[in-house]
Order: sequence, then C-alpha cells, then structure tokens
Amino acid sequence: MLNRRSLLRFAALAPFLPNMAFAADWSAIETEAKGQEVYFNAWAGADNINAYIAWAGEQLKERYGVTLTHVKITDTAEVVKRVRDEVNSGKTDGSVDLVWINGENFRTMKVEKLLFGPFTQALPNFAFVDTVGKPTTLQDFTESVDGLESPWGMAQFTFFGDGAKISNPPKSMMELAAFAKANPGRVTYPAPPDFHGTTFLKQAMVELATDRSIFAKPIDKDVFAEVAKPWLVFLDELRPSLWREGKQYPKSQAEITQMVADGELLIGLTFNPNEPANLVAAGTLPKTTIAWQHAAGTIGNSHFVAIPTNAKAKAAAQVVANFLLSAEAQARKNDLKIWGDPTVLDLTKLSGEDAQQFASLPAPGSVIFPGPAILEPHGSFVPLIESTWLDHYGKG
Amino acid sequence: MSATVKKRALSAPLALLFAFPLIASLLFALSGVFDIQAWQLLFAHPQLWPALGLSIFTGLTSAALSLLFAVFLVGGLYQSAWWQRLSLPTGAMLAVPHVAVAIGLSFLIMPSGLLARVFAVFTSWTEPPTWITNHDPYGLSLIAALVLKETPFLMWILISILNRIDVCHSFAGQRAVGLSLGHSTASVWLHIYLPQLLPKLVWPLLVVFTYAATVVDMALVIGPTQPPTLAVVVWVDINDAIVTSNARGSVGSVFLTLMIAMVAMMVWLVAKVVFSQREWLTWGPGPRDLIRPSGTFSRGEGQIQPPPFSFGEGARKGRMRSLVTLSKVKFILLIFLYIFITAILLLLSFAPLWPFPNLWPETLSIAAWSRIGDNPWALITSLILAILTTITALALVIGWMESQPQTRDRLVTVLSAVALGVPAILLALGQYRAFLQLGITGTTFGLFIAHLVPVTAYMFIVLVGPYRSFDSCWRASAFGLLASFPRFLWMIKFPLLKAPILAASAIGFAVSFGQYVPAQLIAAGRYSTLPMEAVTLTSGTNRPLTAAFTLLLMVPPLLAFVAAAYFGKSRWSKA
Repeated sequence: MLNRRSLLRFAALAPFLPNMAFAADWSAIETEAKGQEVYFNAWAGADNINAYIAWAGEQLKERYGVTLTHVKITDTAEVVKRVRDEVNSGKTDGSVDLVWINGENFRTMKVEKLLFGPFTQALPNFAFVDTVGKPTTLQDFTESVDGLESPWGMAQFTFFGDGAKISNPPKSMMELAAFAKANPGRVTYPAPPDFHGTTFLKQAMVELATDRSIFAKPIDKDVFAEVAKPWLVFLDELRPSLWREGKQYPKSQAEITQMVADGELLIGLTFNPNEPANLVAAGTLPKTTIAWQHAAGTIGNSHFVAIPTNAKAKAAAQVVANFLLSAEAQARKNDLKIWGDPTVLDLTKLSGEDAQQFASLPAPGSVIFPGPAILEPHGSFVPLIESTWLDHYGKG
Repeated sequence: MSATVKKRALSAPLALLFAFPLIASLLFALSGVFDIQAWQLLFAHPQLWPALGLSIFTGLTSAALSLLFAVFLVGGLYQSAWWQRLSLPTGAMLAVPHVAVAIGLSFLIMPSGLLARVFAVFTSWTEPPTWITNHDPYGLSLIAALVLKETPFLMWILISILNRIDVCHSFAGQRAVGLSLGHSTASVWLHIYLPQLLPKLVWPLLVVFTYAATVVDMALVIGPTQPPTLAVVVWVDINDAIVTSNARGSVGSVFLTLMIAMVAMMVWLVAKVVFSQREWLTWGPGPRDLIRPSGTFSRGEGQIQPPPFSFGEGARKGRMRSLVTLSKVKFILLIFLYIFITAILLLLSFAPLWPFPNLWPETLSIAAWSRIGDNPWALITSLILAILTTITALALVIGWMESQPQTRDRLVTVLSAVALGVPAILLALGQYRAFLQLGITGTTFGLFIAHLVPVTAYMFIVLVGPYRSFDSCWRASAFGLLASFPRFLWMIKFPLLKAPILAASAIGFAVSFGQYVPAQLIAAGRYSTLPMEAVTLTSGTNRPLTAAFTLLLMVPPLLAFVAAAYFGKSRWSKA
C-alpha cells in the first residue's frame, strides 16, 4: 500500500535512480532556484580563488538568476560550529547555503546530521565525474560521501622548492631526512593541528608502515602505539636537522611558503600540485621553482561543496554545485593562470570540444616528478597523531 | 523627584545596549564551565603549564616595561618645550594596529629580515643566518612588539591626565612646594607626581596586561610556537571542528582569565603593601641626592605656570638636562621605529618576491592595492560602523556618569574589565550564542551591538578617571550663575573635558575599526567589514596583500587620533 511514509522513502531513494528520470525534477529545481541568494562559505585566503568564485557568481546570475555571495572565512571549522549552533537553537533559515568542505569537517557534519541530501547523484553534471579513476570523489578521508557533498576539485600532497638550489629533490621521507641533515635548519613542517602539518605526519606514517591496510579502518590506541614506533624514531631523528632544531614550528603552510620565497627554508609543501606553478605565475615564487611528489606516492584527496540541513536556498545551492561541476567551470579552475585546481571530471566522458578546454602547456613550477595518489588514513588516526606529536614535540 | 527619575533614566541605554548584551554573552560563554570532562582534558594538555607561564610572563613583562618607558618618557618631557606637541605623534602611534607592529618588527629581526640582509652586505652571506629571533621560545620578541605598541597607549593616558586643567594647576602648586623644599624636578616626579598618577593607571595597566596575556594575532605572527602562549592554545582549540576540543578551549579560556585575574590581584596587593610602607618616599634619588644648592631660586618660581627645566646650576643642572635629552632621544627612537615599520609595510605591499639577501625587492607590483580597490564596500561599512558606535558609546558613557553617583561606577568598570579582560574569542562565542537566541545574528542591529560593546568598555575605562575628577567648583560656580544643567554641560564641562573626551572617542573609533572575531560571527556572512576582508585574505600566502590591508587598517584610526590630538589642545595652553 502506498501511504505517505512509503512515498517519502521512495523520494529519499530517488537520487540514486538513473539521471533520466530526474530531468524533469532538475528543471523544477532550476525554476525554484531563480531569484534565490546562495551564501557560499568558502576559505578566502587566496585572491585567485576568490576571483574564481566571483566569476562563477557572474555566470550563475546571468544563466540561472542565482545570486552567489562569497562569505569569506579563514577556517571551515567556523562554519561547522555556526551550523551546529543554528540547528541546535532551531534556526531553520540558516545563514549558510553552501560550504566548501572535506575531511574532518565533513565527517563531523555528516555524523551530527547537519547536512542536506543525498543530492549529488541528481546533479546532471555529476555523470561526468571520474568516480572510478578518482575514488576520493566518493570516499572523503575514508568516510563514505553518500551523496552528501558534491566533488569540486582534486588535491595531492606535493613538495616544492627552488630548482636552482635543489638539483635532486628528495622523493621519499627517508631521502627528505637525509636532505635535512645535509641542509640543517632549512626544512620543516607546520605544527599540527594545521592540516598540512597533520598531513605531513600522516605521509611519514604511511611511508614507514609495513602494512598499509590498517589505514583503511578505524584504529584503536594500542595498535596505533605499534604503528607509531618507527614513525617516532624517524621524527626523533629528523628533528635536530629541522628549522630551529625542531623546537619551534611554523603555524601554517602559508608561512612556510613565504619562508621558502624569502630563502629561509628550502622545501615547501602544499595540497594543490599546481600551487607552486600558480605562485610562479603570480610572481611570489622564482621562475626556477620545481615541484615533486614522493616516488611511492603521496596522500591525495578531493574537496567538495555541501549544503547544510538548515540552508535557506537549497535549490539554488544545488544549481551552484552543478554549475561548479560543468566542464567550463572545471576547465577554468584547472587553468594555472586562474587557479590551477585539478579537475574531478573524467575527460574521456566529455565531448572532444569540452575536453579540449583542459589542455594546458607545461608551466614553470609544475610537478616534474609525479607520484601516485595514496588514500587518506581513516579519520580516527588524526586525533591520535596530533596528541602523540604534541606529547613528544609540543613542549619545546 | 521627577527630575531625579528622569536623570536616572539616562543610564538606561547603557544598561540596555551595553550591560545586557555583555552579561548575556558572558552567561552563554560560561555555560560550559561545569563540563568536568573538559577540565580533565585541559589539565591533561601537555602544553598547559608552560603555555600559561609564557602568557603570564609576556603579559607582566610587557606591561611593566611599557609602564617604565611611558613614565620615563612622559616624565622627561613634561612641561618641556616638546610637551604641547607630544600628543599628536603619540596618538598617531596608538592608531597603528597591533598586528602591524608585529609584522613590521618581524620583518626587521627575522633571519631573512632586513637586519640580517644589512649584515649580509658585509659578511657576504648567501643564506639567512640560523638566528633565533622571531618566534623565540621565551616570547622575548613578542614582548618587544607589545612594549612597542603599549608604551604609546600608556603615554597617551598619562598625557591626557596631565593635560587636565585641574591636574595642571595642582601639580604646578605641588611642584612649587617640592622645589621650595629643595627637591629637584626628578624627585618631584618620583615622590609627588607618580604616587598620584599610578592609582589612575590601575585600570589602563590592567587592560594592557590582560591584552598582552591574551593576544592571539600578535602571538601568531611573532610569538613562541611550541609551546605557544596559552591564548594561542585556547584559540586553536576553540577553532577546532571537534566539540570536545571546543569545550576544552572554552574552559581553557576561563582558566586563563582566572589566572590573569589572580596574578593581577597579587600584583595589586604587593603594590598596595609596598606603597603603604611609605618607605618609597625616601627610596631612590631623594632630596639629599638631587637637592639644589640653596639660593638659586629665580623669580617667578612660585607662579602657577611651572618654570622650564633648565634652571639650577652645575652638575645637577646638567643631570636634569641629560635626563630630558635622554627622553627626547628615546621618544625620537620610538617614532622612528614606527615610521620604519610603516615604511617596511609599504614596501612589502608592493613586493611579491623579495628573496634573501637582496636589500630591495626583486619585482614591484601594485596587484595587492588594485585588489583592495575592487571592493570599497568593506571599508565604507567599517567607517560607518566606527562613527556610529563611537557617538553612541560616548552618549552612553556620559549619560551614565551624569545620571549615576560615582559609587556605582564600579559596576560598569567591572563590566568593562570583563568585556576587555575575558579572551575575545570566548566572549565572542558566548555573544554569538546569545544573539542567536535573540534572533539578531546577521542583522545590522546585531552587528552594531557587537561593535558597540567593546567600544563602550574601552571608552568608559579611558574616560571615567578624567570625568569623575572634574572639579565640582566649576559646577557650583555655573549653577551659582543660574546656568541650566544642559547649558553647564555644553558651555563649561564638555569644553573643559574636551581633550579626554576626544581622546576616548579616538580610541573608541580605533577599537570599532579593529573588531574581527565577534563581528565575523555575528555578521554570519551577511556583512563584510575591512578587518574581515583583511583577516580572511591574509590567512593565505599573499604577503603584499597582508601588508596593504594592515596599512589600510591603520589609516582611518590614525586620522581619528590626529584629529583628537589637534582639536583636543587646551585653549589655555597657548597662554
């Protein structure tokens, strides 16, 4: 018997049915979206990214009648807290319509049921996403995405430095330690919980582990203590050759990048493989800059956009998410001169004309030694890595 | 009777717009204080004690050194030829944002900074030295930045006290007495002026100490990192997405506040005991030391207008002169440092790439400035907010002081101390939750109140001393001449208190202009102010943009302080 409840259940399943059935629904969403204002909460620390979002806003206004307002934030955790507070206080017309998110923040919002959806499979452009070749579009830091966030871009841990000073860049953690020993005080990493710092520590742990399968599952304290042993030995050995003998650490990746530009450090790190090239184009890094990844691979992930459960303009937020997945928007984002953020799309699924837009010439600062992407360790590793590090190296 | 009721009602706006939101914020901020698990987590934090030690050490040291420098400078320059021109440069220095000083000083002293580059010219270094300067583990560079920034603040307070006509007159009389008894000017300062000035400095000093012990932005730029100061530990926790870390951060900031209050209390008690001994009267250079040879009185010394410094004879005359000269040199050095920091920021704002050991940037670009030109609305919003909140806060504070007896000031003083003393991020979160319940987040009114609360707190603290010490003789004379109350205020009291009122307004304007954390939360992305734009953009790599925004944040408060100093000049000073 078809009652109201079973209808609802059917509706909840709907996004997983083939796209064709939803063409009509999508145009209904587009109609509803017209005139709505989307408050897009996104990290605003790079003006090229802000400029890209402003461009997207112009296109959305013109094509869909959607107003995109970039709410500039420094830390996505702020948004998680804001939505949580709003939901707890019963505010249904929330201040956040769309948020740029991944990893721990996503997991928190998912677990606390702060997200709207599933909605991503219903986005027409989601069909072009490379979910097979880029599994991180479905698994965000080993947390299943479940259609609650729409992929936006790709990231892979990448190192960079001045090619004029580094002829043979270290392509593993062991080589990095040797490099640091040969150049004392010129290498460091940001202190966790800065997320680049935490990633550096994860990268070291994954590279040093004999069995990588443990990283896919939740970990308990005792097993972690075992995994951490070779890792701590490595960090102890690395420490005296680090900047300030490993007694002080920079607070962020951005600070390290600045110190590389000033010449105080030799190696910087980033999650966007194209950031060094982008910074060369912007004139912040010298033209002789090179970028590389470790030969055995470096940690990779995807970043997404999600809609909070109490968003006011849910329809328009979905239109924005869909537009951000379009070949045109993705190609522009991929462009080194614009942003240089790698695409989530499968170029073979695109028409030849669309795929053409992604072609770009090699630029100074590009990755010259690429490595494969390694999946993020399970989220349960993060608090253990951070607290263990703090215990050992946080006291000066 | 109705007149009294009406008059009492003048304090209602302050209660409504300042006290109520503040108390509500505080209650929400403290709602997590009974979370036992959070306290356990806090005390298990490996950095807690060293970080607390650093916070207290940097706070106390910078407050003490700032006081020392401020007293020395103001004492040396009081009634000297420079005195009347002092408040302008001091006010200008006051307008420079804290974080600007930290960035500028950093670029001066860091291993790849300007000093090292100058050395490199002689030593032919190709790589930066491995100096430990900025981010040093003891917080010394943080202390230096704080002292650089707080000395002008205390000087400004001292100058505004000393420029009051009642103080001017009574000090001149006391000075005449001191000189008649054979004391030198320095001795008069140490034994007569200072004991009267210090009690008036208690609250400003508390503000300086609390600020220094809880500052986050400066500590991130130049402070120690592992362990950092406790304020940074708390800040990292409160910013975390995980609820248990947030809770630990909340109780951590309560703990930090309690510790600061305890230390301040201890310092105050020690000071009280020391001063009650009265031995300080003979401590230091005394009459025997600094006594002037008798018979050197020149005519006119007993007059109200104090004589210039350069009287007396021989060695003592020389010593006095050198003291003044030393103060002048130090003051010029201070101004020079500020000009230098501004120049560095200006240069950095045009320099995308400036590798070591170059003394001049490799490329120059106006990209950062043209980026700022793209969105003038943030600047306009900030300006309107600053003007409105300053005017409102002034009305609230004066409304209170004209309607309430002095004995009740303690209430507002304590509230103001809470507003300034509780780490901003904790209070901001509490305020956010309170405003959420009231349904005013994301509204113009909410944004206005979020700016008004700290502005009122600062202005009250700055204005309460001068305003309450207003000589009641003026009032009696005016009423004797049958002036109405408003007429007395407009024609007599406000003109006489012009300097402190304008000074407080300038500070209020600057405080409003610098609000970030509370504003960001309350605005909920519906409004954008200049600090919001600045802080978000500067979380990235772009140093030119950071420098440009820092400079832009400096200019409007600078103009406000210059205006306050210019228009606040006492009319009788030219006599």
